[in-house]
Amino acid sequence: MTPSAYTPAPRRRFNVGERVRVKVANPPGHRRTPSYIRGKEGAIERVCGCFPNPEELAYGFDGEPKRVLYRVRFKQQDVWSGYDALAEDFVELEIYEHWLDPA
Amino acid sequence: MSATHDHHPQEKDEGPPSEHEIMSRAMQELLEEKGLITSEQVRRRMELFEQEFPQRGSRVVAHAWADPAFRKRLLADGKAACAQWGLELEADRLIAVENTPQVHNVVVCTLCSCYPRALLGMPPTWYKSESYRRRVVREPRAVLKEFGTLIPGHVSIRVHDSNADMRYVVVPMRPSGTEGWTEEQLASILTRDTLVGVALPKV
Amino acid sequence: MSERNPADIGGEQDGPIDTVDHGLKFWEKQANALRNTLTSRKVVRLDELRRAAEDLGLRYYRLGYFERTTEALRNLLLEKGMLTRAELERKMAEVRRRYDP
Repeated sequence: MTPSAYTPAPRRRFNVGERVRVKVANPPGHRRTPSYIRGKEGAIERVCGCFPNPEELAYGFDGEPKRVLYRVRFKQQDVWSGYDALAEDFVELEIYEHWLDPA
Repeated sequence: MSATHDHHPQEKDEGPPSEHEIMSRAMQELLEEKGLITSEQVRRRMELFEQEFPQRGSRVVAHAWADPAFRKRLLADGKAACAQWGLELEADRLIAVENTPQVHNVVVCTLCSCYPRALLGMPPTWYKSESYRRRVVREPRAVLKEFGTLIPGHVSIRVHDSNADMRYVVVPMRPSGTEGWTEEQLASILTRDTLVGVALPKV
Repeated sequence: MSERNPADIGGEQDGPIDTVDHGLKFWEKQANALRNTLTSRKVVRLDELRRAAEDLGLRYYRLGYFERTTEALRNLLLEKGMLTRAELERKMAEVRRRYDP
């Protein structure tokens, strides 16, 4: 089987195009959701797949069960107040499903 | 004593070792003594990073410029396309993003230094710097200007923060004046900086 | 930046970027290869190394990139009991002596 950048994620909560909001939370410990994107609203750009949870791997746990990872696209104007450029600038990040709520 | 104590030519010019260099060498030797790794494994990785990985990115993107079917596969699934072409990217889950007349892409890892190492080799010092990690997500145009890259106002910029499991490479637009070029010639203008998105290929 | 994670810096203000690639010293290339060998052989996980770097707290900002990754690796190996402080100190003294004949 050819390697792929993606893994299947059949039991996922969100699909491409759906609007989502990143949770506002400031838990201690290792997180891969940067502060600058917490609380912001964007759209699912692609489904990356299911991966072991890095928040658990970081402490020697196996990170199971795997979590769904999405690429989410945000308008820069929606992320930074006073962002000064054309409306169509974006920042795109990978966000784990447990950090997302429907918008 | 292990063979790693032979001094590499590069070392002779680099002055007395820092505390961290001593720490790193000590850890390596202890781990070798404990049988967790071998010096040959480390040496082989150094070789891959020095000689093999840095050559790959420009070859892959040059091939995408020359071959529309490969380009399509690369943009759909970077890792699969490279594997089919005979290039195993180890752990890198590669996503290729294309520049168009309307869109310019640039890559960062704000949280550390995630980078498609098996495709591009070691990241440059600026990519790992706190100033790049802090600023490029918020003011990409100003940052690109510092690299001497001016993106016209009507072109939208997409910043990709490789903050989790995926890795990114930019497929720049092929400049005019390269018609009929061989892939080797095309690869020669696809510098590392063009594949991260802070520069544009120059004929 | 979240209060507790010094690596979480996206969007903060900072000065001009040094856009020159200063490359790697030999020991840094070797340190990188060591890290890579350890993660690919699953002796440690990359996520653990990242977290160990974040655990450096404010020291994170006082260290260069490879200094940071070296200290993170040391702290992680000590934490996991793969090395002891005594062993490391002994070996570092031995390595130091090689440079100081």
